[in-house]
Amino acid sequence: MATLDPSLAGTGRRAAGGGPPFAAVLALTAGHLLLLYFVLLWWDRSEVASAGWRFALFLATLVAAFGLSRLAGWIAEHPAGRAIRFLPAAFTMILALLAAEALLRAYQVPAGLIPTPTEVLVVLWQARDVLLQDTWQTFVMEAVVGFLIGVGVALPVSLLIARSGFLQQGMMPYAAAFSSIPIPALAPVFVHMFGLDWQSKAAVVAVTVFFPVVVNVVRGLLEIDPRLLDLMRSYAANDRQVFVKARVPNALPFFFNALKLGTTLAMIGAIVGEFFGATGKGLGFRIQIEAGRFGFDIVWAAIIVASALGIAWFGLVAWLERRFTAWHVSLRE
Amino acid sequence: MRARLGNLGPMAAVAAMAVLLYLPLVVIANYPLAQRALERGAVMDCDGPLACAFSLRNPVVPAPGQLLAGIYNLLLPLDSPSAIPINAFWTGAETLVGLALAALVGFLFAVGLVLSRAFELSVLPWIVASQTVPIIALAPMLVVLLGQYGVQGWLPKAIIAAYIAFFPVTIGLAKGLRSPDSLTLDLMKTYRATTLQTFLKVRLPASLPYLFTAFRISTAAALIGAIIAEMSTISFYGLGKMLSENARASDVVGTWVLMIASAALGILLVACVGWVERLVTPWRR
Repeated sequence: MATLDPSLAGTGRRAAGGGPPFAAVLALTAGHLLLLYFVLLWWDRSEVASAGWRFALFLATLVAAFGLSRLAGWIAEHPAGRAIRFLPAAFTMILALLAAEALLRAYQVPAGLIPTPTEVLVVLWQARDVLLQDTWQTFVMEAVVGFLIGVGVALPVSLLIARSGFLQQGMMPYAAAFSSIPIPALAPVFVHMFGLDWQSKAAVVAVTVFFPVVVNVVRGLLEIDPRLLDLMRSYAANDRQVFVKARVPNALPFFFNALKLGTTLAMIGAIVGEFFGATGKGLGFRIQIEAGRFGFDIVWAAIIVASALGIAWFGLVAWLERRFTAWHVSLRE
Repeated sequence: MRARLGNLGPMAAVAAMAVLLYLPLVVIANYPLAQRALERGAVMDCDGPLACAFSLRNPVVPAPGQLLAGIYNLLLPLDSPSAIPINAFWTGAETLVGLALAALVGFLFAVGLVLSRAFELSVLPWIVASQTVPIIALAPMLVVLLGQYGVQGWLPKAIIAAYIAFFPVTIGLAKGLRSPDSLTLDLMKTYRATTLQTFLKVRLPASLPYLFTAFRISTAAALIGAIIAEMSTISFYGLGKMLSENARASDVVGTWVLMIASAALGILLVACVGWVERLVTPWRR
């Protein structure tokens, strides 16, 4: 199996013999099974596990981690491992969750301090109505609306700045400096100006998204290969054509970079904005209020929702990027 | 695009334009409020809603004079616990300690990532995914949790700042440790340098610019972390404490002054990081 891919022969790579290392897979499986067995055994019990059990659980975690690292090493070295490269990361997460579940149950850590993963899942389902309402407020009304406003205003402004040397010199240093301003500083001012509801948070999001987009789009419009402009001139292209056919495509990758950055900033802006005043709903509000009264299970549930939304939104923008800038060097096969 | 001497003219012109645009903003935002106050018969020593728009006690947008007075009130005395300088100092110190902590732990992780492909396959996807997640949302809970285990004072704030900066710093350091080209590494081999020597003389210096790029990106985020941590628990100092006190007292001018102060602190910290970078990587100038 080691020589399945002849191109690797002679590259000095150590040929891993045979299939996946049997001992590693065995250790990984045995560790996971023991942890799983304990979780099921302790499902309804509420006493602290014996010292022997606790030791066994730590041992099982270590053995599984060792097996995982050996298996990951094999996958990294072995050409046949290419199709299953996602496995080590997946198993890392599974092992972390399973070990947390088992150890938290073994030591009977109160749910008010650190809830077990299954408790969080249960709460995620039980509190789905509240969390859905929070999501609508935070994600749709604040993050997405603010993001669209910020990007919508940033685009014409960047065109204006790119056309004027005076504005480039006068505005860009301010725009760049703005990225080092912490969002919480804006939130109280905006909450006072636009009220406690979603408008103030959307404004915070719009402002935080605005500046990275301006900085990146202006760079994209201006940092263009001079040879490309010469070529356009040799085609006798007019200003409009140069702009549409050379500058805009050149700016697209910069624009999408700013959008990807903007999705993260928008989620942070909406959540952090709610820490400074909200109308009793919103993921940030939920997190802050429940953290203060030790409702950590619902805090975790809210964080899971926020993270899933953040990743999905980022993924959507990355997908759009691949669709619209497939010709770009960084994405070519 | 940093501020350069040649930019000063246009920058000053843009700043002047912003100030000129600010005055009508004050009027538009405060005029209805002033008008209503006068109609209700409030006693104010100004004539007409236009003049009163600049001297409302709780304006929507404070007038320039009010802002300057507010800055003056909150700036002095320098060591007063209710003034900005000492609080900004603590928040800034927490953030910088957090950054140093992130660099330390991030360095260990980065070495692991570079040395072991297995570690990279298992851990790197999660570190990368964390970049698209609002990890700041964990801060209120973490700081309460740390308090339960007796971690109090400035340390939990620095820890929050550190864990926010940790992910970008780790990715940056790992990239930096890998950045030396094979020519340089071959040269070291011809010198019969040991792995450790190659690491210390080639890989480590090569990773520093990447570290500082990561710092520049994550300093503002770490500062947010420190401020949120100060707000989420009982604090006796810090801009976060001042912000939450101000929000309760609904002192509008104070809120604006704090916004300006936090912004200034953010810019100052990034400048600080840039200054340390020039100090530590003199060969890059």
